[in-house]
This record gives sequence, C-alpha cells and structure tokens, in this order.
Amino acid sequence: MGAGGTDADTGHCILVEAVTRRRNVFRDGSVAVSTEFKRSRELFVNLTQRELKGKYKRTVLGQLWSLANPLALMLVYTFVFAFIFRIAPPVGSPSGLDAFPLWLLCGLLPWIFFSNVVQQGMGVLLANEGLIKKVYFPRNVLIFSSAASIAVNWGIEMLVLVIALMIAGAYGVLLWMPIVILFMLLLAIFAVGIALMLSIANVHFRDTQYFVGIILQLGMYLTPVIYPITLVQSLSDDVGNLVAGISLVDLYRLNPMERFLSAFRSLLYDNAWPTLGDTIACILLAAIVFALGWVVFRRNERKLAEIL
Amino acid sequence: MTDVAVQIDQVSKKFRLYKERNQSLKSAIMRGRKSVHEDFWALKDISFDINAGETFGLVGDNGSGKSTLLKCMAQILYPDKGSIAMKGRVAALLEVGSGFHPELSGRENIFLNGSILGMSKQEIIAKFDSIVDFSGVSEFIDQPVKNYSSGMYVRLGFSVAIHVDPDILLVDEVLAVGDETFQQKCADKFVEFRREGKTVIIVSHALGTMMTMCDRLAWLNHGELQKVGEPESVVAAYRSIAH
Repeated sequence: MGAGGTDADTGHCILVEAVTRRRNVFRDGSVAVSTEFKRSRELFVNLTQRELKGKYKRTVLGQLWSLANPLALMLVYTFVFAFIFRIAPPVGSPSGLDAFPLWLLCGLLPWIFFSNVVQQGMGVLLANEGLIKKVYFPRNVLIFSSAASIAVNWGIEMLVLVIALMIAGAYGVLLWMPIVILFMLLLAIFAVGIALMLSIANVHFRDTQYFVGIILQLGMYLTPVIYPITLVQSLSDDVGNLVAGISLVDLYRLNPMERFLSAFRSLLYDNAWPTLGDTIACILLAAIVFALGWVVFRRNERKLAEIL
Repeated sequence: MTDVAVQIDQVSKKFRLYKERNQSLKSAIMRGRKSVHEDFWALKDISFDINAGETFGLVGDNGSGKSTLLKCMAQILYPDKGSIAMKGRVAALLEVGSGFHPELSGRENIFLNGSILGMSKQEIIAKFDSIVDFSGVSEFIDQPVKNYSSGMYVRLGFSVAIHVDPDILLVDEVLAVGDETFQQKCADKFVEFRREGKTVIIVSHALGTMMTMCDRLAWLNHGELQKVGEPESVVAAYRSIAH
C-alpha cells in the first residue's frame, strides 16, 4: 500500500471521518484511530524532516555537528575520569576490550539520546503553540517527530561507535546489532513515554522544564554513565544493609536508566547477552511508561488549544 | 438536494475565566490551588444545520462566539455539550502560514504545510505547480521563507490552504490578505468552490460582502443563536439591534 493506494485511502478517510466526526469518538473508536494513524504518518515524516533539515541549515559542517557534542564530552570525561580519577571499568568479556572512551560511549550515547528526547519533547507543545491553536492535527505527532529527529542522530552516532568498536577489535559486535537495535527501540519507546507525560505537565506548569533539566543533570551522575556500577557495588558492600535487607546498590538500581545502560554495555562493550533481569526490566519499563504517557496525553490533547 | 454538510446539535462551549492562574509550581503551592476561575459560556445551546453546497456566514459582534463555533467545527476546540457532525473533508483557514519553518525554502514549506493541513505527498506533488502559481511567488520558491515579504508569506500560506480541496472550507476573516490582484484571485476561487458544490463557512464583520457572498447567515449574540436565514433578513435584524 502506501504509494499505490492513496486515492482509495483518501476516499476511505473521508467516509470514515464523516461517520465518526463526533465528540469523544476517537477515544474508543478504533476505526477512527487507524485513519488518524494514516494521516499522522506523513505528517510525522514531514515534521521530522523539518526538524532535521532546519537544524543545521546555514552551517558549514551541517549534520556533522551532531557528532561534535558526544565527541567533545568523550574527550573531557576521558581526560577527567580515566586520567585524573583513574577510573578503570572492567575489561569487556568476552570481547576483551579495554578502552575507557569506548566503554564510556556505550553508555553515554544512549544517555544523551534519552536526555535529549525528554528535554526537547517536553518543550515541543509550547514551541508549536501557534500551530496547535490554529490547525487541527494529531498533536502527539509533535512529540514523535521530535524524538525521531533525535533518534536519527543517535543512529548515526551508534553507527560510528560500532565502527570504532570493530576497529578496536570487537568484531563480535556486528552479530549483536539486531539485539542492539531492539534495545534502542525499547529505550526510544521509554523516552517518548516520559516526554508525552512531561510535555503535558509542562503546559500546566512551566516549571517542569527547568526542574526536569536539573533532574536530568543529576540523573547522569546517579546513573553509571561515566563510572562503572562496580564502584557503587563496593561502596554498598562497605556500608552493608540499610534496612530490611535492602542495600545501597538495590536503591541505586531503581533508576530505570541503569537497566538500559547495563544492557547496552553488555551488548556493545562485552558482546554478550544482557542479564535476563535487565531485559525484562527494559521491556516492562518501555511498555508501562509508554502506555501511561499515551493515556495522559490522550486525556489532555483536546484541551491543549485552550490551556496553552 | 438538501444534504446536510454540518449538523450542529445543542452545542455549548465553556471557557474558564481565570481570576488567578498559577502556572508556576511555586505560586500554585503557596496559594494551595492551581487556579480560581469562573465559567463563561461562549456558546449556549446552539443548534442548526448547514446544507451541502451552501455558502454560509456567521455574523455577530466581537466576542459573540462565532469564531469559537468555527474553531469547534475545525476540531481545534471541543464543545462541552452537544455534538458537531461534519460530512466530508474539512479545511480551516484560521491563520495562514502557521507551521512554516523560516529556514526552509518555499518549496519545502509547501510540503510541510500541506501535510500539516492533511494532504498526502502525492496530492501535494500533483497540485504543486498550481499552488506556486496561485501564490505568485514562483521566482522565490527555492528561497528560505524568512526572506519573504509578509505579503508573500501570507499568499503562499493561503495558497497551500486553499488547495487542500476540502468538501467543507472554514474561513475566519482571512479574505483580506495580499494585494488587490491576489484578493481578486481569492474571490474567484470562492466562486469556483461554490460552483463545484462545496460548502463554505465564513466568519466576518463585513456585512456587505457577507450579504452578497452567502446563501444564508446565522447571527450570534453573546453565545446565543439569534437568527438563521436569508442574508437580508438576518442582517436587517442584526442591524436593528446593533445600531
């Protein structure tokens, strides 16, 4: 379908729209949801392109700029944490990798993606206020396309990382690519779920964006992005049980991003399966958070033109 | 012959008039509430039908609720009571050029704006020349739209919107865009719409134009429907109260 059947599709759309254009119909009318989806698809592609094309217009390096930020962070963190603080993450097994910058990037790139999706997605309703007040279109497309444009950059970054990993000797990473992509999808779904919720919260309380900005900054240091979780583990062992058999590391691992990063490091740096616990956690987190975000957004979508 | 294109059934729309609105968390917590508001009914129990192929006008003073009603038809606002059924594809000309990305070219923005308004890619490709032609900015179509004059900007936006080829077109006083030549083009386009049997719904203050353009008018006052019918009688009734 797609390219061929548009005339028929449009006709169908009109018919369904005619029957279903009533209040509250989209919430339970599955037919209507599918036409909404068809309409959304092209809008989604176009808005994503707008985001991608518009961003680096009139720059000499263009899209290359999207690689500059993670690269600069890598250099700074490697200098500070590997050379000054002498953090030595465990050697990748079975990959045999032992290089802090690569180990760092395996966690840093997913983190940056997550943080960008949340931060940009949160502000996207306010940024498109004029559009929302004047044109009808499914509003969630704004969040999805903002996330997709970031995902494209993330995809390029990950590709570069995989090449670097192979140059460093971890050829096995190629075999793991399908699973890596699966986990990338899970993280994207999780991040979009959070962005859906926070974008609504941000419309009600503009504090949200500043508050969440700080949380994300703290979050990076409360997540094993630039240091291995083994350091937290040994700290936790020193402290011992806190209450009722709960240790410090148990609390630390409540952070959902810890699960995702642990999975990415297993796949990319170690070239091994993530633990079953991490895998299940990632799937559940993505499903639950996205469902929640979807419901919150649906509930508030209709009021947006009024409350913005 | 008289198919109903739009069925407005006991529509009421409530707005909140905020006496105090705490959009920052600090003030919300300090005051212990998010807002203090009063309900304001912008539309009160409005019911009427608009026939297919009709050019229908909504008139009334500022704040009478006519634009709110139009926005409800355009699905931007949702009525609190009642329902609105629209038969066919709807396009709304509430504001043109919204959604243009200033850094992108006119060409790219036509595709972007077209898809925001609900056109498919094939549709836009098919109508592309006609859109450019109508807007009269063909020389600058590959320039970023931020370099356009405000007139060119509006003309391009209007041109995209009018090519959505809707069954029902909603227009909110945007008829007064562009220079005289462009206005003439727009007027011709509306005549063409009519000839093709499309439904056009216009909100305007210009009673003179409304009388010549519209088949029927509805007059709203303070959110209540006063009169629906022949333009002459509605305008006469409206004038007798207003002046």
